[in-house]
Amino acid sequence: MLKRQQVLADFGDVALRSDDLDGVLNEACRLVGEALGTGRAKVLEIEHEEQSLWVRAGVGWSPGIVGHLRLPMSEHSSETFAIEAAKPVITQDIGKEERFDVPPFMKEAGVVALANVPIFLPGGRPYGLLQVDDVRPRDFDDEDTQFLRTYATILGPVIDRLLLARALRTTEERFRLTVEAALDYAILISDPEDRITDWLPGAAAVFGWTAEEAIGQPSAIIFTPEDRENGQDRWEVETARKEGVAPNVRWHLRKDGKRVFIEGSTRALRGPNGALLGFLKVGQDVTERRRSEERLRENAARLEVLVGELQHRSRNLLGVVASVASKTLGEDGAAAAYQARLKALSRAQGLLSEFGSDTADIGALVQAELAAHVEVKPPKVLVSGPEVHLTSRQVQNFTLALHELTTNAVKYGALRDGTGQLAINWEVSRSEKGRRLALTWIESGVHLEPGQVTRRGYGRDLIERGLSYALRGRTEYVLGADGVRCRIELPIT
Amino acid sequence: MPDTGKLLVGRRILLVEDEYSIAVEMERWLIEAGAKVLGPVPSVEQAVELIGEEMVGLDGAVLDINLGEGETVYPVADRLNELGVPYLFTTGDMRIGGNPAHRERPRLAKPVLRAELITAIANLLHSQARTV
Repeated sequence: MLKRQQVLADFGDVALRSDDLDGVLNEACRLVGEALGTGRAKVLEIEHEEQSLWVRAGVGWSPGIVGHLRLPMSEHSSETFAIEAAKPVITQDIGKEERFDVPPFMKEAGVVALANVPIFLPGGRPYGLLQVDDVRPRDFDDEDTQFLRTYATILGPVIDRLLLARALRTTEERFRLTVEAALDYAILISDPEDRITDWLPGAAAVFGWTAEEAIGQPSAIIFTPEDRENGQDRWEVETARKEGVAPNVRWHLRKDGKRVFIEGSTRALRGPNGALLGFLKVGQDVTERRRSEERLRENAARLEVLVGELQHRSRNLLGVVASVASKTLGEDGAAAAYQARLKALSRAQGLLSEFGSDTADIGALVQAELAAHVEVKPPKVLVSGPEVHLTSRQVQNFTLALHELTTNAVKYGALRDGTGQLAINWEVSRSEKGRRLALTWIESGVHLEPGQVTRRGYGRDLIERGLSYALRGRTEYVLGADGVRCRIELPIT
Repeated sequence: MPDTGKLLVGRRILLVEDEYSIAVEMERWLIEAGAKVLGPVPSVEQAVELIGEEMVGLDGAVLDINLGEGETVYPVADRLNELGVPYLFTTGDMRIGGNPAHRERPRLAKPVLRAELITAIANLLHSQARTV
């Protein structure tokens, strides 16, 4: 009896000193085998959601069993029986056992008598079993059974503590590895006075200071002199203190004086009672992205200036061409038609620049061309169609065609006077080949004067051949009984 | 204006120009100078197709460099180099890209006038005749 109390006390010592679960379990087996004089004992751990048992520790067993053997945890096994019984189950002679099956490897090893002692973790969850085996028939008496119960009751909490410690170590290790590997992120922690207490490898990589150099310094060492002067460093921790978090998106200073652009935040760290423990600063070095964005912005701005300048120059040039023409050719007859065509081109150029891109809305082109000649309002003139943008190349050809239709209508057709009417409609259709624009120009109520019917001028040629030439358009131009009917179809993007 | 009347009689000239107004104008000038015009066509694709269909052979070509929406006429020039057909460029741009050999070719700045076009083509065909 004294011997057994000695064993329990010895085991208590081992369990308190050790953090190694396997060491503790093996020692437990050694002590219990010794105390009961069997020289054999083992611990089986339940694995895989109670589907199997692993011989995790043991003494007195031949190699290949302890640490290796896994048994199915079947319904009729001695182990399942003992866990359900929730107390030590004694088998004096396994040859006569009828309550359950004993695993074959035990019989092969010559085991005759067996004590199956279930081990429960605090809370009652079964951990596994302590098995004490004897190769001789023996009766584990009441004293043995009570001793084993006590032993298993001590084992439960010990195992639980070691399992938790191991899980915690794994989590901590994983956390440390993660944070230390995050070299793209500068991570540092400062105390409530904003002095650096933790300087992780990412911070060293981004800012150039080593942990030894940085720890103890104020966090403000990574701020630019301008920001320090403006009190940006103090604003940031004050904001984090008051609101929990403050954005930190600005240029920072490296040890070597170079600047890095950081996108991140400063967070207040508070203990369970709300006391301020310090600040966590996490930021990503986005200097490269920032620089290329700045370059892109500069390029875009330069390009915009350049495009504006080019549009300005081309309109100016058209103005110069027009004035040279009027000086050279005068202002009547053919020269006047020439001037009007230049004017139409110039209007189209103006609309292109107005949209800030190299496209122009077809409705705006139609309105601008008509407005140069007549008052555009129903019932004389009807204009309708969706917003459709034409490319600069389409705009130029389309504008000239539109101009020819309009001047023709003003001279001879619906826009001259009287009862004439003009309807302009357009729509967009889709097919496998892409989008197509179809515009119809329909004049009605026009009294044609004889002799005009056969007229084939520059305008009609431009419409019938020019649009299909470069824009892959299809056009129909019919001089009907009461006015021009024209249909223009263009592929659009 | 120098007399460019019939400098190109019987000559077969390919004309590549994407602007319709300019294309028809040049076509008229070439025809009035006695040439037979192939085209005009506004794109590389159509130009290459025309060259392929042409059995008799070309005497020369007038190529607008910028065919709009990013397309340049250089593939046509390369094809003509292979066939040994002389050509000249018309352009609103001062830079010549593509094959370095293109930079050796005569170049007319837009707007191109009738007399300079006809004279330049006549010179082109003449120098080609000498070198052959």
